[in-house]
Order: sequence, then structure tokens, then C-alpha cells
Amino acid sequence: MALSLKRLRSLPKGETDRVIGRDARTNQFPDAGAIDDVVNAPVYVHPLKTPMWWIIGFCISLFFLSIYITSVVYLIAKGTGIWGNNIPTAWAMPIINFVWWIGIGHAGTLISAALLLFRQDWRTSINRFAEAMTIFAVVCAGLYPILHLGRPWVFYWLMPYPNTYGLFPQFRSPLAWDVFAISTYGSVSILFWFIGLIPDLATIRDRHPYKFGKIFYGTLALGWRGSAKHWQRYMRAYLLLAAISFPLVLSVHSTISFDFAVSNLPGWNNTIMPPYFVAGAVFAGFAMVLILAIPLRKVYGLEHLITMKHLDNSAKLMLATGLFVVYGYGVECFIAWYSGAETERYMLYNRVFGSDYGWAFWVLIFCNGVAIQPLWWKRVRYNVWWLFGISIIVSIGMWFERYVIVAITLTRDFLPSSWGLYVPTFWDWAMFIGSMGLFCTLFFLFIRLLPTIATSEMKETNWHLSHVGDPSLRYKENEEEL
Amino acid sequence: MNIDKSREILSGAREFGSDLSSSAEEKFELTVIGVAEEPEFDNTAESVQVIRERLAELDQSEGKTYWRSLEELSETEEFQAYLEQEFPRQSAPLESGLDRREFMKLLGASLALGGLTACVRPNPQEKIVPYVRAPEEIIPGKPIMYASAITQNGYAQGVLVENHNGRPTRLEGNPSQPGSMGSIDAQTTAEILRMYDPDRSKEVLQGGSSSDWDSFSEAVSSLDGNIAILTGTVTSPTLASKIDAVLNARSGAKWYQYSPQNADNVLAGSEIAFGSWIVPQYNFEEADIVLSLDADFVNSGPAKLKYARAFSDRRRVRTGEDTMNRLYMVESTPTSTGAMADHRLPMAASAVEGFAREVAAAVGLGSTDSHAALPDGWMDALVDDLTNHASVVVAGDEQPPIVHAIAAAINEAIGAVGRTVTYHKPAMAKPEIQSESIKFLVDDMNSGKIDTLVMIDSNPVYDAPADLDFAAALDNVATSIHLGLYNDETAVRSSWHVPQANELESWGDARAFDGTISIIQPQIQPIYGGKSPLEVLSLFLGTADTAYDSIRAFWQSAASGGDFNLFWNHVLYNGVVDDTASAPMRARAKSTIFDEPASHGADGIEIVFRPDPNIGSGKYSNSSWLQELPKPFTKLTWDNAALISPKLAEAEGLKSKDVINITVGDKSIDAPVWIMPGQAEKTITLHTGYGRTNAGKVGNGIGFDANVLRTNEHAHFVSASITKTRKKYKLVSTQLHGILESDGIGDRHITRGGTLADFQAHPEHPGFVHPVAHHASDLYDDFEYDGYAWGMVVDQTVCNGCNACITACQSENNIPVVGKDQVAVGREMQWLRVDAYYGGSVDNPEFFSQPVACMHCEKAPCEPVCPFGATVHDADGLNVMVYNRCGGTRYCSNNCPYKVRRFNFLQYAELEENAMALLQNPDVTVRSRGVMEKCTYCIQRIQQAYITSENEDRTIADGDVVTACQSACPTQAIVFGDINDENSEVAKVRKSKLNYGLFEELNTVPRTTYLARITNPHPSLAVASSYGSDSHGSDTHGAEEGGH
Repeated sequence: MALSLKRLRSLPKGETDRVIGRDARTNQFPDAGAIDDVVNAPVYVHPLKTPMWWIIGFCISLFFLSIYITSVVYLIAKGTGIWGNNIPTAWAMPIINFVWWIGIGHAGTLISAALLLFRQDWRTSINRFAEAMTIFAVVCAGLYPILHLGRPWVFYWLMPYPNTYGLFPQFRSPLAWDVFAISTYGSVSILFWFIGLIPDLATIRDRHPYKFGKIFYGTLALGWRGSAKHWQRYMRAYLLLAAISFPLVLSVHSTISFDFAVSNLPGWNNTIMPPYFVAGAVFAGFAMVLILAIPLRKVYGLEHLITMKHLDNSAKLMLATGLFVVYGYGVECFIAWYSGAETERYMLYNRVFGSDYGWAFWVLIFCNGVAIQPLWWKRVRYNVWWLFGISIIVSIGMWFERYVIVAITLTRDFLPSSWGLYVPTFWDWAMFIGSMGLFCTLFFLFIRLLPTIATSEMKETNWHLSHVGDPSLRYKENEEEL
Repeated sequence: MNIDKSREILSGAREFGSDLSSSAEEKFELTVIGVAEEPEFDNTAESVQVIRERLAELDQSEGKTYWRSLEELSETEEFQAYLEQEFPRQSAPLESGLDRREFMKLLGASLALGGLTACVRPNPQEKIVPYVRAPEEIIPGKPIMYASAITQNGYAQGVLVENHNGRPTRLEGNPSQPGSMGSIDAQTTAEILRMYDPDRSKEVLQGGSSSDWDSFSEAVSSLDGNIAILTGTVTSPTLASKIDAVLNARSGAKWYQYSPQNADNVLAGSEIAFGSWIVPQYNFEEADIVLSLDADFVNSGPAKLKYARAFSDRRRVRTGEDTMNRLYMVESTPTSTGAMADHRLPMAASAVEGFAREVAAAVGLGSTDSHAALPDGWMDALVDDLTNHASVVVAGDEQPPIVHAIAAAINEAIGAVGRTVTYHKPAMAKPEIQSESIKFLVDDMNSGKIDTLVMIDSNPVYDAPADLDFAAALDNVATSIHLGLYNDETAVRSSWHVPQANELESWGDARAFDGTISIIQPQIQPIYGGKSPLEVLSLFLGTADTAYDSIRAFWQSAASGGDFNLFWNHVLYNGVVDDTASAPMRARAKSTIFDEPASHGADGIEIVFRPDPNIGSGKYSNSSWLQELPKPFTKLTWDNAALISPKLAEAEGLKSKDVINITVGDKSIDAPVWIMPGQAEKTITLHTGYGRTNAGKVGNGIGFDANVLRTNEHAHFVSASITKTRKKYKLVSTQLHGILESDGIGDRHITRGGTLADFQAHPEHPGFVHPVAHHASDLYDDFEYDGYAWGMVVDQTVCNGCNACITACQSENNIPVVGKDQVAVGREMQWLRVDAYYGGSVDNPEFFSQPVACMHCEKAPCEPVCPFGATVHDADGLNVMVYNRCGGTRYCSNNCPYKVRRFNFLQYAELEENAMALLQNPDVTVRSRGVMEKCTYCIQRIQQAYITSENEDRTIADGDVVTACQSACPTQAIVFGDINDENSEVAKVRKSKLNYGLFEELNTVPRTTYLARITNPHPSLAVASSYGSDSHGSDTHGAEEGGH
């Protein structure tokens, strides 16, 4: 029985539970099929009956995507000079945005892979769209280093392939490592995501009311029949991929941090960079998960699947990683002082009190250090408005962190005669906002075309809850037995 | 139309080709030669009617009518389109690089278009002739150097012109010419750019509309009435004799001279001192003590290169046993000379006279009641030095005559005459007080005494004193003829304008400051059809002599005896005519000098006018190289500014870039201010050469015109009043300003310096050179450089920040100009820069100039971070840049502690095939956008030396490789060579205890190192003036690089 979303949303709260068969007391679904219906309802909608909010949102995203395309075309036609980059600030907004986007992706991988391995079953209701977020963020991020090149059309020279030019990547450069970090991350994320999707795609194939839907999802489902053998292999593959993805949570952003840590610049050459970057990435990623989840559960009526408990857990992780990041700031300051190096100390002074960019440091301290403190209180963590607001602030703060690390460090390094200023141009902003357009376009397509929650996993979790009890308790019992 | 058809054919061919070979990895484009038809002509009655009308029109106009085809006659759109297609003005279809595939396509297209031409009616046959027997000396690909000269304000600076198969590309100094000594200044280097400048005027103009040389000669032959000739300072004997011939041939003809940079004060001063017009020449090589009275002798005036060299030769300190001279300087505005001073005192220009009188009184001449506010003991130390050592007093050209006279008297009193200063006949062909000359001319013009005015290579409408109002006077002249390189302010107000041939395009001669004559040889046919002054003046004699005829004729009569051709070849080869320097004269200063009443400095604000240090007083306004060249100390580009002292800024509440209104009498201008440390307290410096309206595309409308305030009486300094406006102006500097020691740079030990006494006290371990102990260590063994190891040492003691090296580098290495907007965002491209730092107080700081280019670090931080492997090390220790391999990640620039890498953020290098393309050095790649570049140590010159030495089966000798910056440097502050060769100059200099590497504590092991700056203050005035040393510094710390 397919439930129309419209009907679902029009029902009073108690009535919804009755219709979808949810037991409000235990938060369980006696009828597992109801989960499919709730989650997949938007997918079954006929293209011509696409809800207006989606069309409007998608058009706005397309508009920003067109800004992105315009800036890319203009960039390739004119050259890197359309941005505000200069000497000494040879890296600026594109690299900031690159690190920002790739950081956002991290929460998705953490949720899907790490939490799976740690048997944190609450992840099941958010992992699908968090993974989608990862992939789209990697797409947005991955384009930046290519477009950032002075000659983007030669980017393939960075790949180790045999050629008559005698070209080969110079593997001592962290940028060569980046190529592998990002491409691995992108491909593993896509694989992991797609494999997770297969049983759900088969469900949609079976239940889709229209023929084109059956063909489309049937093709994507790769002939999944749900046999035990399928399930057995599926589970094994999924677990293996999770094991492969898990190190990426740590390695990708560590590699990106090497872009900075391996250099000799005061403010970049720090050993704390890898853990500090990873924590920052997860921090920013969870903020983005909350930014996406809060409106999504509202418009799709998924409050029962993505519950306050999920938001609460995400907020706790955000708080924890946020504190780690703040610790990183502290260590940076301490080391700058402790090194006794004039250039390091001045770098810190300039970052914190510099007349040109000192404000940026305080913005990031506020956003990443101060603004997350209310999350200590449960009442804040259970208030979507607070969470949404704090997440937005954290996203801005993490952007500023990269701004401070990348651009401001470069403006004043060793030789005062070559110090300069950095001012982003119209095109810097256009490309950044445009990349958000790219992200949103992909995300809108995702929520329209694919199940936003991993229903097969949800059903499994639901079964555990109703038949075995809280699985985490179960594992505990097992441990005690052992 | 057939054009469209051929396009179709072409595009079809392209598709066809790509279909054929799409599977192949290595594709070759197939192209089909387009078979094109003649432009179709619509042969209807209507169009014939059009042709008849057109013929009728043509018949009415003068002269015979020729036409080649009906199409041409009918002037149809199709025909125009066809013409455009066949003779495209600018064919630059490829903005970004030319890869093989594009090249093949283009080749195909041009073949097809070639086919088009082939099918059009045959053009008249014009046979071209190949070299059957090539000229003996021309080897394709190898440049030939010709000796010639370029005049600056009339005086010759000897040059060697690098000529690639008839195409001059570069100027270097001529070692045998005294005005050059082998060095070259930034302006003379940029003359080559001025020659190719596409903005130069290209046709004779009559009343602003196009005319030709024949009409002009006809017009000249029919001229009558009084003729006046206005020139700049003339030292050329041939031109002077030509002018004399015109003056003799034409009764009532008169010759006037005016140049905004002239020797009026020197001549008038010698009139007071000696009663005759003689000029001093200084022998700085003999002088232990120099007192400069507002004289920027190392960086202005015709003898600057000679003086800079001689003065610096006495300041080369390598060991504790070396001695050096001592310079006392009083000046109104910081100059290169002031920056080298051991004791410098900012002083209003008008107060210098009082100071000079005080010094004179102290050495027993005259008496004075003025007492300049001098630091304690200053005057005593100065007088002690002047009287006890070989000394000389130098007066600045901008100082009034009396100061020159007093300086002459002091020189005589301290026994300098004949030793450190000699007196000579002026090198000018007709010495005169030019401010009077121009005034007489304007008076004559206004009273209608002049019917024809011939202005040769001068732009009086722009640069004549404002109170004379030359432009208005010009309206009173019936026929005004302007000969100039540009259609400038004067040209547009003249009835005739004739494009002038550049000195690189025409024959001429000129004297150096000391009278030595050089012959100017043309290097190329006048590319824009210019005429030399000699040709124009010949018209007034009724002859059509070429410049070559005139020069040869003059020298045939002037060179006495012997084989003329032998003499001529010898002169052309050397670039100088032997034994033409003027001999010293005996001169005794009159005792009446001090009878003149003393004038006292004004209390209020004073304006000082100076020619711009880069573009001069307007000659180089349209030179993009010089406009973009950061000016000494301020590092401003593309603008002039009102330089004010920090104290005045404080008192008036001004910040840099605020606009002030400056009023002198009834004239006022708005000018942006720039705070200049070391500026005299109430002095505002205004540079001329800006605010041009007809300079050309580059020079028009930038900066403000300071000439508006400049009157004939007060041409150099004048009292003024200022008011602050609310406006701001965007001044662009290549260095962030407002950063002082407090801002954290104090302990970086970037520039290091100390006093000679400090060095002599600790000659083995001068504490100021290695203030912090540094012990390089590495886990791995270092690479052994067992062949050549190129290295450079820059002596900061003698670098005066004159910028000659930067322009020399720009010219040698095809470095593009980026424009003010790009400089404003920090994208200037010069590979070499001269960093300015200050030490001590803001009111009277110590100036440091530090040329910085790629250090060629042995352990270069740029190399490991490049993922493309585009910057690598070679076996000689050069850090090389492989442009073709560079993808433009810019990581190398981030990781370079010296920030010497330059990135082509946009397509800066001009790819269009215009005249400027001829300027490019064929030995150096022109870089496209998206590619990093930097100093290569002039690798093309190193390679040339390899080839030569290997052909001659020997090793490269010291001095075989001279980098462009090194060859230009007037003070020889840059030493380059093989540091593995123990006997090379650079290896010896590197062994000096003053040698240090910039940021050597980063273990970059830079191949370019610096000698700490040494000053030589008077012992009684020596305050702690060691910069770079701090509490960590002590003698025991002096650490050896690489030592353990």
C-alpha cells in the first residue's frame, strides 16, 4: 500500500501513527512494510505530480548551478587571475572551499562505515543521506583542485600512466598524494553507497506504480531477488566495504592536512595538523548532517525514523569533535610560543591580533568554540531550532578556520617585503556559491529519486527492536557471557 | 561568397579527418586545400552605375586615378570583407599556447587560404633575393653586439646593442664609454621598448591630419620669415654644426635650448665662483670624505653611472683590513645617494644654503649667522673630516647657484681642486642658462618675432615652466613644426608634426658628461618611418641629406689626417671617439662669493620638484617597463605621489593615499600623499613626468601633473600651502607599508649591517653577520657539486636601490608587464625586486636596499612540493623551471620563503604578432598563462657559455657568464660565477666574513648570498647602528654554515 506523502502530512500526529502502524510507546513498527511506504512515498510520485516545494527548490539549486558553470567557463577562458589569488597568497578561496567540502563529507563516511563497525544501530536512519552528502561533497571538493590549476586541462598529468612525454607524478609532493586520497575516497564512497542501495532499489522496483519506474529501478537493482544467498553476500560485501571505508575517515583528511603540514610555512608546518584536520572534518560533517536532516525529516514526515535521539547523538559527536578542534587551536598557540621561532610567534600574533585579518580568528573562535557550548544541555540538543542554528554557525566557523589557515597564513610568512593582502573577488564567491548549487542540485535529485533512508536496514533494526530488544544491550550481554 | 564556401570545405575536411583517425592515439589532421573562387562580382547594370559614380568622384580628386579591379572600385561590402579576410590585421587565433594539433589545423587553414590567394589575379611580380653569399659576420641565431649610444637629457650613455639578424632586442652598457663604464641605467635599458612602442607616431601630420614627408619638405622649402629652433640640451657636434649652418643660412634664425633637467644652477654657480661657465667633475675614487649638499650624484645627472661606480669602489669591504670612504649627506628628500650615506640629515632644500655657509665658515670662509639644527657634534665631525682627509663637497643640480659657488669655494679651501674635483669646459655644444633661453623664446613668440618655430625632440607644452604658458605662446607662431617620437602635447598644438626616428634607428653623435664623443649607429630601419633631426634640419638648408650623409660629412671634416674609413670603423667599433674628453682647467674661486646676501630657508611647507626616478620628466611616460618598475624606497608603481614626512603627516592628520590640495601662488593641484620616512620635515616632493594627456596609451591620464606648479623662477623648490581633502586615491605599491620593527620583523635578520669599526674590531666573527647561531645538519649526505656551481653574491653596502637590474632582467627575460590593477592585487611579474627596509627612527632612518631574486637554494623548498615535477635541480645547482611541465598548482610559491616565484595568473605575455614581438629575446621562452616562472640566473647565457667553452675545448672562465642584472648594475654590487672555482670573484667574495644567506636557518642553502651592509660613521658620532644583531648576538656565536 503506497501512502501518498500529502495524505501522510495532512494527518494529525496520533493519526499518523495509526496509519503507518507505529507503536508510539516503543517506537516500533509491527508492519515492516510501513517503513518502506513512509520512506519511499516520494519516489513513487509521478513526475508530473512532483510537489511544488521540490520544483521550486530544484530550480533555485539549478540557478546556482548555472552560476557555477558560468564561473567555470569564465575561469577556463580567462585564467586563474579572475580570482583574488596573488603572490604571496597563491592558494586562497578555491583551496579553502576544497578543504571545507571534503571535510563535510567526512561525517557521512564516519556514520556509514565507522558506526556500522561499532554496531551503532541508530545510524541506520541517517546513513543513507549522510553518504549521499559525502559523495556530493566529494564531487564539489574534487573539482576544486583541478579548476585551481593554472592549466586545468593538464590535470591528468597527475595520474601515473605511461606516456610518451616522460611525465610521471612527483610523489614527494603532498598534492600527488591528494590525487589518490580524493579519488579513492570518491570511488569507495560511491561503491559503498550503491551497494547499500541495492535491496532498497529492488523494493522500489517491486512496488513502483509506474512502468518507467519499474524499468529504471529494476535496472539499478541489478537483479536483486532478496534470496538468502544474496543477503549473505550482500552483508559480507557491505561489511568489507565498511572496513575499507573506515580508515578513509582518518586518512583522507590527514592527507589533505599534509598539503599544509609538509610545507615549511609558519602556521602550516605543524605536526598536529592531521588529527586536528580529521576532528575538524567530522565536526563540520555532523553540522552539515544536522543542517540537511532537520528540514528533510520535516518535509518528508520522517520524524519517526530520524528521531530526536539521532539528532541528539549527532549533536553530541559535534560537541566532542568541536572540543577537539578547540584543543587544536590551543596546541597551535602553545607550539607557536614554545618553538621560540620569531616567524612562528609572529604568525600567531598576526592571526590573532593582526590589523587586517585578526577578526577572522575571533569569528572562528566564536563559531567553533563558543557557539557549541550550549550543546552540553540536553534541552538544547532536543531543540531542532537550536541545533539547526548552531550547525549553521559551525559550518561558517569551519569555513573561517580554513580561511585563517590557508589564506591568512600565506599573507604574511617569512619575508616582510613580500607580505600582501588577500581580497576574494566576485568570481571567488560565485564559484563557492555555485558549488553549493551543484551540491543542492544533486541533493534534490537524490531526495526525489532515491530512498533517503536505508529501509532494508531500518527493517532489520526494527525487527531486532521488536524481537530481540535493544541490540546494543544484546551485544553487552554477549560480552558478559564471554 | 567564396569565403564561406572555403570555410565549409575546411570544416568538412576537419570532420573528415577526425573521422578517419578517431581511433588512432596519434592523430594527424587531414586537410584539403580549399579551391576558392574569385570574389563574385555582381555584374548588373546597377552596380556598373555605382562604379561610374565612383570613378567620377575619383576624377574630381587630385591626381591620376589608378584602379586594379572593378571590385576594388565598387568598394562593395563583399570586397571589403574579402580584403579583411585576405589581409587580416591581427591574426592571433590562439590565445593559449599552440599545441601540435592546433598547429596542424592552423597550418591546414593557412594553406587553404593560401590557395585562395593563388586563385586571385596575379599580383605584380616582386622578386625576393636570398643570401647567396651571406654577410660574413651574420650567423643565424647568434646576436651581434654593436656599440652605440643613447642620450639622456642630451648626454651620451654608451651602449652595446644586441642585434639578432637585424633586430635589436636589448641594450647593455659600453665599458669603454665613460658615461656608462659598462653599466646601464633602467631608462636607457628601456629605450629599446620605446623604439618598438606601437604608440609612436607613424606619419607626418599637418594640423592634426595625415600628410607625408614630401608635402612637409615642400612646405619647408616655401617657408620664409624668422625661424627659431628649440632643442633640448645639445651635445651632438654634428647636430650643433647643422643648426649653426641653418642659423647662418637663414638670417634672423635663432637657437633656443630647454630641458627640464638642465645644468642652469651649475653654470650660474660657476659664473659666481669663477666668472665663467665651467663645470666640476668629481673624482670619487680619490675622495675619503664626501659631503653632498642635496646632490643625488649616484642616481641622477649625466655622470651618475661613472660616479656611482667610483664612489662604490671606495666602499667595497670584504675583510677587516679594507677601508672605505665616508659620505655626509644633507638632502630634502631620500635619494639613492642619501640611502648610502654614513651620516644623513634631512633638510629643507632652501635651508641647504645656510648649512653650506656654516660649513664654509667652519673651514674659514665667510661668516654666517645661520645655525642649522644639527645633531650634537655633527658639524665638528664633518669639519674634522673635511679638513683632514682627501675630501670633496658636491652640490646638487637642484640647489641654487650660490650653493654651487660655496661648494666650489669650500673645495678650494680644503684642497680638493685638482685632486677630488676638476673643472672642465661644459660638454654642451652651446652652454647657456636654459631657463633664460626658454623665457626669451616665449617672449619672442608672444611679440610675434617668430614666424616659424622648429621644436626638435622637446615637449615644451608639457614641460616648460607653467608661468610662461608655452601653449598660448605657440598660437602666436604661424608655422610650428614638431619633431618627436610621439604625437605629444606639443605635437597636437603644432601645425606640423614629423615622427622622429629613435636613436636606435638613426645616425647621430653625442658627448658624454666629460666630453667624450660617441657615434650613434642605427640598428634597424626606422620602423615607423621616423626622421632624424639632421634630416629635418637639412631641409632648411635646401638639401635632402640623410643623417648618414650629415654625420659622415661632419666627421670627414672633423677627423684630421689619416685614413677616414679606418678611423670611422675604429670609432664605430669602439663606440667612442678617442681623446675627446675635455681636459681639466685651472680655476680659482673668487673671494666675492660670500659677498652675496644669504637667503634663509622658509619656515613653511616647501615643495621640491624632482624628475620621476623611473620615467624622468616625461621622456619615458609611455614606457610600461618603467611605469611598472617600483620606485626606489616607496615601491610605488604607475603613479606619482606627494611624498611627505611622517611628522608632517602627523601634524596634518594625513595618511598615505589621502589626497591633498597643494597651492602655489594662484595655481593648485590635487595630489595623493605618501608618507616617506627620512623626508625633510616640511618638504613635499613632487615628481614630474606624470599627468600626461598625449603620452600614449600607457602614459595618458596617470598620476598628476606637477609641472602646473613649477615656475621658471622656482623650478626646483618653492613655498606652498596644503589643505587636506576628503578624497582618497588608490596608490599601488609592491611592498606593504606601515610595517615597522614593532610589527615583528626585527628579529628576522633579513638585512644585516654594522659599522666598519665593529667589523675591524672582530674581523673573524662579526657579530652582526651571524646574530643567531646556526648549525646546519641533515640526516642525508649532501649532493656533491663537482662540476660548475653557479652562485651569486650581492653586496648590500654598495646597492643603492637604483633599479637598473630590474629593467635589465625584464628586457633579457621577456618579462611581461601586468598593469596597475594587477600590481594592486600583488601580481607583478618582475623576477628581480629590490626590497626596501628601514632601520632606526622614522624621521631619519637608515635605508637598506636588498635585491631579491630566486636564491637557487641547494635544498630548494619549492622542488619537493611540485606534483608535476616542473621545478627541479640541475647538476650545477640551478633550480630550474620547466614551463611546459608546469600545471600551475602554485604550491612552489607558497613554500618559497623568499617569495620570488611569479605566476602568470592571466595571459600577461602578449601573443599578438605586433611590433612588440620583435623586442622579445629569442633565447628565452615567452610564458603562457597558468605557468610559474622565476629568475633562472640567466640560464640562456650560461648555456651559451657552455657551448662556447666546449667548442673551444676549455672550461668556462670566470666572467664568461654575466647575468643581465650583474651587467647592468652601476655599482657592481652583484657578483656571479662558479663558486667551485676557487679563483673566481664570486668564490672569493663568498669567503668574506660578511657573507650570509637569507633565512639560512631554514637549511635552504641558498646559492645567492649577501654581504652585510657596512657603514663608516665618524668615530665621534658612531651610535649603535648595527641592525640584525640583537641580544642573542655575540662574537662567540659567529657560526659557520654547515659547521658542527
